[in-house]
Amino acid sequence: MLVAKLAFRNIFRQRRRSLLTGLSMGGGYILLALTISLVEGSYNNIINIVTTDHTGHVQIHKENYLERPGIFKTLSRGSGIETLLANEPSVRSWAPRIYGVGLGYGDEKSAPLSIVGIDPVMERNTTSIFGKVREGNYFSDPVNSDGYYSVMIGYGVADMLKLSIGDEIVLISSGADGSIANDIYRVGALVGSRDSYEKMTVYLPLEAAQDFFSMKGKVHEYAVMTSHPSEAWKLTAVLSAIIDDPLVTVSPWQVVEATFYKSMEADKQGNKVTMGIVVFLICIGVLNTVLMSVLERTKEFGVMLAVGTNRLMVMAMIILEIVTLGLLSCAIGFLLSLPLLYWFTHVGITMPQPIDMGGVIYDTMVGEMGAAIFIIPVVIIVGSAAAVSFIPAIRAALITPLDALSDR
Amino acid sequence: MTKYITLGLLLFSLPMSWFLTAENLVTDTSANEEKAKKLIQQVDDMYRSTASRATMTMRVQTPNYERSMTMESYTIGEEKMLIRILAPKKERGISTLKLDEEMWNFFPKINKTIKVPPSMMMGSWMGSDFTNDDLVKETSLTDDYALSLDESGEIYVITLIPRAQTVTVWDKIIIKMNKENYTPIEQAFYDEKNRKVRVMSYREPKQFGGVILPSVLEMVPLNKKGHKTLVLYDKLELNAEGVEEDLFTLRSLKRRLR
Repeated sequence: MLVAKLAFRNIFRQRRRSLLTGLSMGGGYILLALTISLVEGSYNNIINIVTTDHTGHVQIHKENYLERPGIFKTLSRGSGIETLLANEPSVRSWAPRIYGVGLGYGDEKSAPLSIVGIDPVMERNTTSIFGKVREGNYFSDPVNSDGYYSVMIGYGVADMLKLSIGDEIVLISSGADGSIANDIYRVGALVGSRDSYEKMTVYLPLEAAQDFFSMKGKVHEYAVMTSHPSEAWKLTAVLSAIIDDPLVTVSPWQVVEATFYKSMEADKQGNKVTMGIVVFLICIGVLNTVLMSVLERTKEFGVMLAVGTNRLMVMAMIILEIVTLGLLSCAIGFLLSLPLLYWFTHVGITMPQPIDMGGVIYDTMVGEMGAAIFIIPVVIIVGSAAAVSFIPAIRAALITPLDALSDR
Repeated sequence: MTKYITLGLLLFSLPMSWFLTAENLVTDTSANEEKAKKLIQQVDDMYRSTASRATMTMRVQTPNYERSMTMESYTIGEEKMLIRILAPKKERGISTLKLDEEMWNFFPKINKTIKVPPSMMMGSWMGSDFTNDDLVKETSLTDDYALSLDESGEIYVITLIPRAQTVTVWDKIIIKMNKENYTPIEQAFYDEKNRKVRVMSYREPKQFGGVILPSVLEMVPLNKKGHKTLVLYDKLELNAEGVEEDLFTLRSLKRRLR
């Protein structure tokens, strides 16, 4: 108790020095909290964009469809998977899909395209596709009088085939029964942008795609949404268990978007290096101040030791001093960073040049708030300051009273 | 003899057309090749006058699907062929026209005629185990192969080896025939590593307008497990009337089936 009291008093004996040390620690706290907040915030933002854009939180396929897609690796809509998904409380929504490739013809030109069949209603409830419609209407019109389905095309398709809303697009591919799939569709909407990943995609209503590819009642993929991307692994385990079929593979977005996930993780490691540098600078500052204060108080420690103070107590006092100072600075840093992080979380910085991360456009840098984001910097700063102050503390504890007092 | 050749021509001109190009063969003085050549010459003359009309069923079997198509075909000589799919409904009217070494597919649903590019020649014809090349290139294939006839066994065995300048995926083709009536038995295709890649066999001889011909052709690609294509002749008319030159035009290809 006495040690704590002494330590606390010592902080206020040299106010200017304490203020400077406190500033470097408080500043460091704000910097760390901000960095962590922005890193977490940005990534959660991107993950949200990626998962709601297309991927979903969890995907279900037949066998190794993800690694080696094939038209025959299908799931049957009537196989019970849909009932299981509907009855699983942690599943928020889900959407069936069919994928294929084909040749598209406009009036004069042709181009290879990717053909995706989606259920208009379920897809809309699951991903952000509805919001990506730039021109025309989202699958609003059913089959028209000529028996043509309305489809949505990416901008690349529209540009290459010189198509606009209302035009006819001809698709040719091969069906799952070996037949030559060929049909005419009407362009009902343009989706995405000129750089988005779906620029060479044609979206067909699911039943039109099933008909086109001769795969009635079958799909290639289910995209499933749960409450949050971080729940993906959990849901994967749950779904794998309830589907309980070795031929059906359930994968979380971390597996589906493995490239993105890995580059994100690598980037996070890079950020840790930055944070390490910040901490290192703080440590040097702290070490410097503590060394100075110990040196300055050599006589004082000499007296303390001479009157019989335990050497460990001297050490503890010095470390306690710095820990108390650290906690105080962090408290002030916390108060200062609160509005800052609040702003970043709710407003964020709009980037002048949007970043394209694996096809996902990311244009606003936002932060995140949470207990961890405020506590982790405290632990890092106070912990490293305490660790660093061991050196001067040991030094102080090893002072010989005689030498200290004789000013040699 | 002639009868068998005619059948071959009717179907994708594949089976027997090695007979048909005797004039291009390098003249070999060996007796058996001379004999083969003579045989071929005769057949060739007969064949050129033939126009045919046929209705057939094609059954494609794969591990993933099985399907059956009914189609009619018209041929004049070996250079001209028109095939129209009659059933199933989804594919009704899809037609293929072959003129010499060129080939077009017509899709009535989208009203488009698409020329089969050279790069697609080894691609499957209508999802079967026959390639587009089987329909088109057979003529030049025989032009470009050297023949050798082996009479020593119970059956004729004719080996085709590509000439040096020939561009082909086959390293060797072996054709087996019955000796007594010259019926074809089987045709085997070998790749560059001398592996048997696919076999076409001729089965179930049937009477077609006074002529007996194998009515079933079976193509089995040996490198694709579980794949098989059968062609069954339902009707066959030789020297058919009404099969005229003007049937084999792009305009005629686009005529829709009712």
